Amino acid sequence: MDDCLFAFCVTHVGSFFIRGKMDIILQGIKEGISLIFSGDPEIFKIVGLSLFVSTIAVVISACMGIPLGVLLGTHSFFAKGIVVRVIYTFMSLPPVIAGLVVFLVLMRRGPLGAFQLNYTPTAMVIAQICLVTPIIVGLTYNIVKEKAPIVNRLGLTLGAGRFRRIKLLIVEMRVGITTAVISGFGRAISEVGAVMIVGGNIKGQTRVMTTYIAELKGMGNYERAIAIGIILLFLSFVVNAVLYSFQERESK
Amino acid sequence: MKIKIEHLKKNYDGKSVLNIEELEIPSGKITAVIGPNGAGKSTLLNLIAGIDLATSGKITYAGSEAIPRNQITMGFQKPYLLNTTVEKNISYPLKIRGWDGPQIEERVQRLTNELSLSEFRKKKSWKLSGGEVQKVALARALSFSPGLLLLDEPTANIDPSTVTEIEKILKRFNREEGTTIVLISHNLAQARRISDYVVLLNHGKVMEANDCAAFFKTPSKEDSKRFIAQEIIT
Repeated sequence: MDDCLFAFCVTHVGSFFIRGKMDIILQGIKEGISLIFSGDPEIFKIVGLSLFVSTIAVVISACMGIPLGVLLGTHSFFAKGIVVRVIYTFMSLPPVIAGLVVFLVLMRRGPLGAFQLNYTPTAMVIAQICLVTPIIVGLTYNIVKEKAPIVNRLGLTLGAGRFRRIKLLIVEMRVGITTAVISGFGRAISEVGAVMIVGGNIKGQTRVMTTYIAELKGMGNYERAIAIGIILLFLSFVVNAVLYSFQERESK
Repeated sequence: MKIKIEHLKKNYDGKSVLNIEELEIPSGKITAVIGPNGAGKSTLLNLIAGIDLATSGKITYAGSEAIPRNQITMGFQKPYLLNTTVEKNISYPLKIRGWDGPQIEERVQRLTNELSLSEFRKKKSWKLSGGEVQKVALARALSFSPGLLLLDEPTANIDPSTVTEIEKILKRFNREEGTTIVLISHNLAQARRISDYVVLLNHGKVMEANDCAAFFKTPSKEDSKRFIAQEIIT
């Protein structure tokens, strides 16, 4: 009899409490999914701006970061060790610090105040470049320093000139470089602190997914926050799925 | 391509690893560089290939001090293959020399046939065995018919049938294309089998350099006699 009572309590009373708490989340997910398919123009605009800002930032960071990583990995110079340590430190730069610095530089009384870029997508791109570039430089440098001596020696003995050897090195590191770029994109699309400070989360102008989620949470609008969260997760999944397919294809 | 070495010195951290007063590597022949571990064999090859810089001295290639990069290549004991297919590895030196498609195809086909690599043409390089990797690296090095081929223990840790294949193709290229080949070998039997000229190095110095037959039959230096005797015994 006691055993039956215990089992009843565990099954029904326990599930009542769990279901009660879970209901809020499940309801949020359900409403979130229907919101995604409702074609809400505001959501599409926010997702579009998030992708635009992060993609532009990653492209610019890759254009700067990959050659810098290659240079760092293939050349020796005074204080290289310090430069590498600084880059490693900046790889984990807190977004709010990056945002604050960019904000101070771009504010009216700042060195670049004349351009009036604060609270614009351009400022958000700049802030994300500050976060993403060290990641791409650091990860590229790590692969280059490992592979460069071997690939350079091979290129030299096969008659490849300097430009061809650099090209060969980049081609040989394609999987590693792609991983670095994707990691940078992951950092850009998911960060909230920097874009909040320099963008200001202005509706229709600088509102991106992460800042919107933060605002919706504050307003208690969990369904909408979950909807945006699902889209953010989905985009992250797509990007990583593409990377995984590329890695798989290259290793077959 | 005749190689002339004069007063060549190489130091690492102030320690002399190579000190050659004079050495000539004959053109159009196969030269075996032999000697105990740490004798300076790999250093000598790296200096000739121009992938390392000498502390002092000079190397002349067919009379010129400029390294003819387009005519020299080197194979390593642990070769690095590009992360792509066998055929793309072999054709890489041809592409950078501007060969056209049919010429590349003809050359790749010939080399893959000769080295029994035809069935691996589309195979990715990281799926090959040690012997296959060595053969692909050799095919790649030979693809553009270099004037000078430097090989650092190309047949170490490879099965006997692959060694025979490699030796056969080296001899053919030497005979038909006139490729000067310099190879490091720890295998005296191999040096005797394929080389025309032998250079014995020890402690970074040339102990003896002579025609292969004369070197093994009537070595003129005590060091050579001792080395040959020890290597044969061990």
